[in-house]
Amino acid sequence: MGGTQYAVAVGAVKAMENFLLSNSDMEQLINADTQADFDMILSAKSTENKTLSDVWDMLKSYVGDSRELEILLYRNDFHNLKAVLKAMISNRSPENYFIEPSNVTPETLEEAFRTKNADILPDYMRETAEQAYELLTKTLDGQLADSFIDTSALTAMQNSAGKYGGDFMRKYVDLITVYADIKTAYRCSKMNKQRAFLETAVCGSSELDKKSLIRAILSGTDGLLSFLEHTPYAEAVGLLKESPAKFEKYCDDAVTELAESTRMQAFGAEPLIAYYIAKEAEIKNVRIISVCRESGAGKETITERLRKLYV
Amino acid sequence: MNSMGLALAVLGAVSASLFAGIGSAKGVGLVGEAASGVVSVDPNKFSKVLILQLLPGTQGLYGLLTAILLLSRIGVIGGNAVELTTAQGLMFLGASLPIAIVGLFSGIAQGRTAAAGVGITAKKPEHNGKGIIMSAMVETYAILALLVSILLIYNIAI
Repeated sequence: MGGTQYAVAVGAVKAMENFLLSNSDMEQLINADTQADFDMILSAKSTENKTLSDVWDMLKSYVGDSRELEILLYRNDFHNLKAVLKAMISNRSPENYFIEPSNVTPETLEEAFRTKNADILPDYMRETAEQAYELLTKTLDGQLADSFIDTSALTAMQNSAGKYGGDFMRKYVDLITVYADIKTAYRCSKMNKQRAFLETAVCGSSELDKKSLIRAILSGTDGLLSFLEHTPYAEAVGLLKESPAKFEKYCDDAVTELAESTRMQAFGAEPLIAYYIAKEAEIKNVRIISVCRESGAGKETITERLRKLYV
Repeated sequence: MNSMGLALAVLGAVSASLFAGIGSAKGVGLVGEAASGVVSVDPNKFSKVLILQLLPGTQGLYGLLTAILLLSRIGVIGGNAVELTTAQGLMFLGASLPIAIVGLFSGIAQGRTAAAGVGITAKKPEHNGKGIIMSAMVETYAILALLVSILLIYNIAI
């Protein structure tokens, strides 16, 4: 029956949304006197989904394999690819650098490089793995290899979103790509990077054209900023000038706002993706509060840094 | 005896129960999926989502009722089938179509609405009634179709 996909999973996720931490819960966490109080507040509302891996396992248990949902983990897959490559070159263990959840297990990635057999990797990262290995071993330029892998991750997300995703997933990927490109562009303009590097580091999207963006970067930071100020992302650029942390928060909030647009949907992958995004923001906020409390940051500072919540 | 007339009338009874039944089965199944998802997380909501799941089931009952009335009118129930002309048989077949067709589509549509209502129950159980009312609105058209079918079945001269 068309348009009624994932009814079971959406029902479960709607029920689980009641257990998401709200702004007042965050406030309580900030105001908790002791670590014991902090832990008690968290455990009072927490479900089985404490980590993103738990959330992912839960979603998988309801929907099985979904090419569309897997796109959410592409960035983790490519991050792990970077970790394995760097560890291999520097002869260190990559274990501490892996991010979970991922579609490709770190063991598979390690085996792919150890046996020089990229065929065991999924098609969306096979070519990138081979090219990144060649690039890194030939140039020994870690930054270039990192940029190449980051851009490849975004390109893979765009391709898969086009193939398997709905409108929401395509918008999500576009949003992620645009903000990643803006961040890269700003850094590259500050570092006076050359065109060859930019061709690798900038991904481009339907929202921000790659050629125009590279041209703007090459014209210098002022030129780039004035170019971006004439795009729909002028507000984000203003924050980027102020502080990278504020820009990061703005990007995360924009993703949550996009997720909020799915609130009315009763079926499909969108509410599931939105729940994953909501949990991501929640976990990030708990981490921010926890770290800030440890470092003795003031309540105002913590509140400023908190991400927008889905609930 | 013109068996074609009787066959057409029986086909009408079959259509009423078959298509309205399919509509209900699809609708109830869909709500059941959404409801199972909710209950898997919060079993306390079982009774609330069960009401929503029952709603799209009525079309199947209307189809069954229409079929029984039609079969009874032409004497198939009771073993004294009346003789029907082809035109009369076609009229009985036509009389069954409102509930057959409306039952099929309204069952599916009500299932979608009730499944969305399950989402309301999951997030805001205190507003469960609103989900039920919205789903019940779809029922109106199945009831209208049932009335038309019954009126026709009882007013076809035999």
